[in-house]
Amino acid sequence: MPAYTLEELMVIEAARHINDGDVVFVGGGLPLPATTFAQRTHAPNLCFVVESGAIAPIVIPTPISISDPKLLHKAVRLGTLREVLGCLLQRGLVDVGFLGGAQIDRFANINSTVIGDYTKPAMRFPGSGGANDIASHARRLLIITRHERRRFPNRCDYVTSPGYLDGPDGRRLAGLNVTRPAITVVTDLAVLEIDPERGTLHITGLMPGVSVQQVRERTEFELDTAGVVRTVEPPTDEQVELLRDEIDPAGVYLSSKREH
Amino acid sequence: MATLRLMQARCAHKVMTLPEAVGRFVRSGISIGLGGQNIGRVAVAAAHEIIRQGHGDLTLFGCNLSISMDLLVGAGLVRRCESGTGNLERFGTAFAWRRGIENGSLEVEDYSHLAMVSRFLAGEMGLPFMPVKSLLGSDMLTHRSRSGPKKFEIVTNPWNPGEPVVLVPAVTPDVSIIHVQKADAMGNVIIEGFATHEPEMVRASHAVIVTCEELVDTDAIRLDPERTTIAYPHISAVVHQPWGAYPTSTYRYYDFDSDEIRRYQAAARAGGDTYRRYLDRAVHAVETFDEYLDQVCPAARRHDLQVAMRSMI
Repeated sequence: MPAYTLEELMVIEAARHINDGDVVFVGGGLPLPATTFAQRTHAPNLCFVVESGAIAPIVIPTPISISDPKLLHKAVRLGTLREVLGCLLQRGLVDVGFLGGAQIDRFANINSTVIGDYTKPAMRFPGSGGANDIASHARRLLIITRHERRRFPNRCDYVTSPGYLDGPDGRRLAGLNVTRPAITVVTDLAVLEIDPERGTLHITGLMPGVSVQQVRERTEFELDTAGVVRTVEPPTDEQVELLRDEIDPAGVYLSSKREH
Repeated sequence: MATLRLMQARCAHKVMTLPEAVGRFVRSGISIGLGGQNIGRVAVAAAHEIIRQGHGDLTLFGCNLSISMDLLVGAGLVRRCESGTGNLERFGTAFAWRRGIENGSLEVEDYSHLAMVSRFLAGEMGLPFMPVKSLLGSDMLTHRSRSGPKKFEIVTNPWNPGEPVVLVPAVTPDVSIIHVQKADAMGNVIIEGFATHEPEMVRASHAVIVTCEELVDTDAIRLDPERTTIAYPHISAVVHQPWGAYPTSTYRYYDFDSDEIRRYQAAARAGGDTYRRYLDRAVHAVETFDEYLDQVCPAARRHDLQVAMRSMI
């Protein structure tokens, strides 16, 4: 087996959830290298969209910001925030919304705003940005985050971006246009997906060598398993080399610590 | 302010120095719309000048607020921010902003980016509010700042009974500051690359200060008018300030400077005397933005940033 880290496989596995031709609205952080990886491999025709207004760039690795000029390379249009968040996303033309997570709860709600009291918080995070818009309007939601217990609380202190809110009908009752989106959370331990009957996350995949127990230990909320739990396919040598040598050679997003 | 804007709109020649522009249009207690996003085309030179002149008690509006906002907050000039984020992504959060929120000295109102740009859209079209379908179900509709106007209203779609729609109030900043690639003496503006929320925000504002990389002839604008992003009636002052977005990038001109952004972030994160020393050195101890540039970004470094940008086009 080639040497790879679960962090690297997390990025590669997340990329696999993007289909060639998808319109993907990409948030900051780990979604940037993962979508770039998809564009360089199985999904060369994906339409990469970022909120600054860039549509369908051919990304130069490694962008470190949503406004990094590397994200603008050979775009078909460099437009406005309203065009992409309004005319593509809210309009219903985005297939996949791709976000990194600060805190994700059992309903796949995301908190990127505060811990504690809103007007005088214990800890303040950057806030929504376009994340609330992406989670509200994308037909399918993809979330990538490292699996730490503090990142998976039973209930978010503050719901910045809606998952299923409080159950299977939460989004419909709130008035969101997309009532039951598929939501996939890819971590360095597992793949979690929304069980649409219950509106909560359950385990549908495990990283090679990781047990259900290990995932539960690093998750605050109760986590069931789907009927069939698959093992995430390990990367090929070529995929690992691509990630290390071209997508993130400077280790902006990924450390090179080997685990396998 | 509105009368002043109309006088400016009729005046054919709007070119002035940055101290003149800030001195004429910025006052304590007003609201300011900030352009740029994260590490791209942020109006840093204009923010430095506002700090030098010491206009305080400001309310700031924007989508992503980054270095220009954080500088103004860190200098103690800001009372309230309404935005989508305060964020420099891999360089960290906006630390002066975060510290202000956590210690209760800075009031914030959180919206999503689409909600903020919808507010500017209402403002630029002379409308009182705009509907959005974001925010529904989120805590942006359950938590508000302590003061300030009503944050939103939920109504039912008159054409689809039972469907909730969020109305967000128009924003019409007293002044907006943006940094762009090209402008002429009349105030016609050409933005190259992404334009973020700026077209809506600028057209919603009572006065607008534009700093630009290049001053171009109005004849050139008239030969190629479809390239004009924003026409002159919306613009109050044009300042020729090359590198006015430094250390953030300006598309087609120069890349961002990671070293100076990191120096700023280190100072902002440390706060206290460390931050005061940064402001003293970068802003108060110099008379112009060009002096700051000469200190922190010598010609060879500037050349490298220009080459780096060209290689990515």
